[in-house]
Amino acid sequence: MMSTRSFGLKHYRLLIALACVAVTTPVVAGVPPTVPALENDHPLSSKQVGDLLISELRCAACHGEHTDLGFSAPPAPSLNEVRSRVSIDFLRRYIADPGATDPGTTMPNVLDHLPESQRDSVAADLADYLQSLGTAQFKVGNVDSAEVARGKKLFHRVGCVACHNPRDKDESLVKLKGSVSLSHVEQKYGLQSLADFLFRPHDVRPGGRMPDMRLSRREATQIASYLIGKSKSASPAHQPDPVRVARGKTAFAEHGCAACHALPSQQPKSEPKPAPRWSAANSSRGCLDPKSKTTPRYRLSKEQTDAIRATIGAGPTKLDDRSKLNLTLAAFNCTACHTRAGFSGPTPERNPHFTTDEPNLGDHGRIPPTLDLAGAKFKTLWLQKVLFDAEVVRPYMHTRMPQFGEANTGHLPALFKRTDRLDPVDIPEPSREERRTLRDAGNRLLGDKGLNCVTCHNFNGLESPGFKGMDLMTTFERLEPAWFDRFMRSPGAMRPGIVMPTYWPDGKAVRTDVLDANTEQQIRALWYTFSLGRSAGTPSGMRHVGTKLVVTDKARVYRGRSRIAGYRGIAVGLPGGVNYAFNAETGALSGLWAGEFVSVNWNGQAAGNFNPAARAVSLPQDVSFYRLTDVKAAWPLRPVMTKEQPVNPDPLYPRNRGYRFLGYQLEDGVPTFRYHSDDLRIADRSTVLTAGDRRVLQRTLRFSTPKAQTVWFRALTGSFESNGSAHRLGKLTLTLPQSSLIDQTTVRPFEKAKELLVKLRLPAGESSLEIQYALEP
Amino acid sequence: MPLNRESAFALLIVLSLASSLLGEDVGERWGTAEREREYYRIVSVPMPKDAVIEAGAFEVLPDRRLAIGTRRGDVYYVSGIDQEKPNPVYHRFATGLDEIFGLAYRDGALYVTQSCELSRIQDTDGDDQADRFDTVSDAWGYANYHEYAFGSKFDKQGNLYVALGLSASYHSRALFRGWALQITPEGKTIPIASGLRSPGGIGHNEHGAVFYIESQGPWNSSCSLKAVSPGSFMGHPASLNWYKYAPNMGSAPLQPESGTRIVTEKLRVKQLVPYAVVFPYIRMGRSITGFTVDRTGGRFGPFENQIFLGDYTQSIVMRATTEQVNGVWQGACYPFREGFSTGILNVQFTPEGNLITGGTNRGWPVRGIKPYALERIDWTGKMPFEIKRITIEPKGFKIMFTKPVARSRAKAEHFKVTTFTHIYHGGYGGPEVDRTTPKTVSLRFADDGLTAWIDLDQITVGHVHEFDLGELRSRDDEPLLHRHAYYTVNALPRADR
Repeated sequence: MMSTRSFGLKHYRLLIALACVAVTTPVVAGVPPTVPALENDHPLSSKQVGDLLISELRCAACHGEHTDLGFSAPPAPSLNEVRSRVSIDFLRRYIADPGATDPGTTMPNVLDHLPESQRDSVAADLADYLQSLGTAQFKVGNVDSAEVARGKKLFHRVGCVACHNPRDKDESLVKLKGSVSLSHVEQKYGLQSLADFLFRPHDVRPGGRMPDMRLSRREATQIASYLIGKSKSASPAHQPDPVRVARGKTAFAEHGCAACHALPSQQPKSEPKPAPRWSAANSSRGCLDPKSKTTPRYRLSKEQTDAIRATIGAGPTKLDDRSKLNLTLAAFNCTACHTRAGFSGPTPERNPHFTTDEPNLGDHGRIPPTLDLAGAKFKTLWLQKVLFDAEVVRPYMHTRMPQFGEANTGHLPALFKRTDRLDPVDIPEPSREERRTLRDAGNRLLGDKGLNCVTCHNFNGLESPGFKGMDLMTTFERLEPAWFDRFMRSPGAMRPGIVMPTYWPDGKAVRTDVLDANTEQQIRALWYTFSLGRSAGTPSGMRHVGTKLVVTDKARVYRGRSRIAGYRGIAVGLPGGVNYAFNAETGALSGLWAGEFVSVNWNGQAAGNFNPAARAVSLPQDVSFYRLTDVKAAWPLRPVMTKEQPVNPDPLYPRNRGYRFLGYQLEDGVPTFRYHSDDLRIADRSTVLTAGDRRVLQRTLRFSTPKAQTVWFRALTGSFESNGSAHRLGKLTLTLPQSSLIDQTTVRPFEKAKELLVKLRLPAGESSLEIQYALEP
Repeated sequence: MPLNRESAFALLIVLSLASSLLGEDVGERWGTAEREREYYRIVSVPMPKDAVIEAGAFEVLPDRRLAIGTRRGDVYYVSGIDQEKPNPVYHRFATGLDEIFGLAYRDGALYVTQSCELSRIQDTDGDDQADRFDTVSDAWGYANYHEYAFGSKFDKQGNLYVALGLSASYHSRALFRGWALQITPEGKTIPIASGLRSPGGIGHNEHGAVFYIESQGPWNSSCSLKAVSPGSFMGHPASLNWYKYAPNMGSAPLQPESGTRIVTEKLRVKQLVPYAVVFPYIRMGRSITGFTVDRTGGRFGPFENQIFLGDYTQSIVMRATTEQVNGVWQGACYPFREGFSTGILNVQFTPEGNLITGGTNRGWPVRGIKPYALERIDWTGKMPFEIKRITIEPKGFKIMFTKPVARSRAKAEHFKVTTFTHIYHGGYGGPEVDRTTPKTVSLRFADDGLTAWIDLDQITVGHVHEFDLGELRSRDDEPLLHRHAYYTVNALPRADR
């Protein structure tokens, strides 16, 4: 197999022969390779720029390592699945002349030395060879125009335009310096392959310079739809030509592609490279000589050439931490979104694209925080979480913190910590005796009876009643005490322009009624309270809201504790605005109400209980079917626990009265409750009838019994009035049907009022009874 | 210091008030999170914006979806939980249930343990929405919000187990509060153990025996894993009033005496089962929760066949191992990973062998700063240097490591062991007492450096043996990722074992 070695051997003499090319050389026309941060203001010296270019252009792949920047040069994109990712037409053109096809690309032209007549053919060979490595076919895909519009919004909102050119309302490109061109994208990708790339860019480009924007699959598809634009006609599936594949494989080795692109079928790139080591390199020749016909062809600008020459001339140097940090921030273009001393930060042209849901928070609500003193501000663990685990604390900010990959920026937290220092501030841990005082003071300060921090800050997922600023719960996890202390005393000094006011102007507490107006103690109280995390309790002024469950066009079932249905309560909301409660412990329809369904408490330990969202009519919660020995016999009542007698004296009450709950089934959301009363099986289903402005619940009881039997049904208790088969209790009118099953209806005294008992004579087998519960408005 | 009944009761009241207040420091951190991430990454699993998923229970379905039961009573089926960059699809299978702390799948149905009952729920019309809810068991009382119910997975015979917390966490006012129940495949409910306090999960240990999680409080000075077998009394006497409803259990145990030691009291109260694995309070969690066993075949790293469990308060995940000695269960617990975002209520291995954690920080003090979260632990493939497992020997312990120890540098005195026990009493929590510091009198290594045997000059039955191996180094000169482990000795093996 041909190797990279042969490329070198074959051309090395030529290289030497051409070495006499003038030192001052014209620059190759076209867009030079783009390293976006270098096009904006930055604090890097010319030599450091050279070092960064050597890294980003992957010079080390042939020439060996130069200066240790503290991070790795980006590996070249993976070519394994290029077949399904990239259109064949694009691939050929790109290989033939990368810079012309994708302006600003860091990939050099390696075919430039060939006679023009051969280039396209060799490029086609290479393209077919690369195609032969993949299995899945390239697909154009159908772009959904609705997704295009969503994609446009996302593209301009989540941070893509920090490094890429935005487009205006008319879709015209707004060319900004420091932009990586996307002009090639629509020719290069299919919808799916671009969406896949955007969803997980590091699979193809492990170097992380194109970061993972934490897009969901759907969002990735939307942005891909936008970038691809209108659907194109599908090109016929391309089958690689075996002859070209064989030639392409040879060419891949011959032209040194394997130096940057690792392919399993190629020799490893650790093979000795023929290119000169840095110490032997002549900075006016080879890649830096635009007329060289023997080396990869970069379209370097004059500034870039000069910078690399300066670096080579000076030789590798040992960089201090601050330089390494600056180089890292430049390599990953962190400063497109973050300010840091010496860098321009978000440029005026890009600034309007940083947006927010909380405009009241000012620029700090829409522009990512400064990185000045970031190492002194954040705890290491938090830096790791933000950089590598996609942790975010500003949900209102539309621009997302990208993920560059731990493999690429794993060094950054420690580097920040070593570089940025503040004089330490000791916030002493409270003694056991002080804890409660400080905690209470901290809680007071946070709430609306103190400094009212919660009017602008969320707290433990609860929304602030005012601005929805950063959740205060994150404070202790994120911040170093020295930074926190300074920030508390002077928010504007640590975060210029922040809307947060000073609560201790000139070190004097504005809140004089807490901790004797002692500034140190107040700040300490807040820090201690934050250190308690969730256990710090919710400050006064936060809204605790019950959650209303809403019934739309489908019935809803909700199980939970409730006064109206007992501990084993079930609320049923039916479309049409009729709701009822069922006590599953005893088998009683225990309440009804019209209008909204239920509100559920979701706070604290004792959550999950429900209350009817409107005034309800309560019905008895004892077992509702029973075999009375005679019409005089008392109805068996459920045990009642009191403060004095909290233990259930009759824990088997329902079971010993024959009741057993079997469950329920849903049809279109409407439940049918199933239960036993001894050997009687009951299916209990209610639906809505409307009659004028009265809302009527029609309850159907289906009985199934192996033998004919008599059973009593207790329908109502309370101060109701009876009129024939209709019985009225408040706004409820219960109407019993004319049914042969009803043997007897009895109204008799019960406690201080009455109870309505219905004696049913049920035949063996199946029978049913319909009862109407009408609710007046 | 034995307390008389009245003063014990007064103490209970005071402590119960104190513990109901928020505002506690949840304890020291291990301080190992920065190093842990090299070996085990915590991957945040995105959730739908409009859903509140306070996971209380997990199960893996035959179609490899992850079922999540929530405190808010929803059941979600989640596809794509194992994607390297998770972007899962959530499907709400059921809703409107009451606080789910148990999910088990069998024969096309999901068995859901809710506060009110154990239900079998299924989709009968093929639209992937639960439409049939059968009550499998509701044979327990439920009359206080704090009466949570925790459900297990199925055992080999098809039984499920339900652990029932006390009323208001101190009393047993409704039937079988503070009991564990067995529900047979035929749907019969059999009470099998009393004396539970505030369980946090029930399931099977790595050997298939039924265990439950107990929380620190009265009669439990630390959280613990306890073995449940028919007839057991787990130590908290509030629930002894229901024996007449459980004739299969025989007569009620003697009332335990407050202020004693469990090792002596179990000689008197014959049904009393000692804590199998004590989790020293604060150092190893403050309210440990649902557990599972690593059956991933090594895909999760070196801890196959070990118990993994979370802690609610401290937002951490720990390991535990158990063994049976002379018919009594005992074992050890080990730190594993800290730095989770919320209070962990349950854990579950995914089809790909990652560990899902979930929970909420609602209601009790929690270190994690998110109201609820789903986080996945992925092994990075890099081998941590850890204490893998500790088992007991007649005169000492066998200690296994995940990587070879630098034997030449290891000395007997590097195996530091101290011991303590707790007062067995009705007060809330309690100090570590009766401390001893045994001497490591001999040290022997296996040739591969992965196993060490130590003999101590004394082993104290009834004590937690706390290991600090911080001076050991691996052959690559690494210190242990976690230097501590805690072995609870309930019995000593005979020398001829």
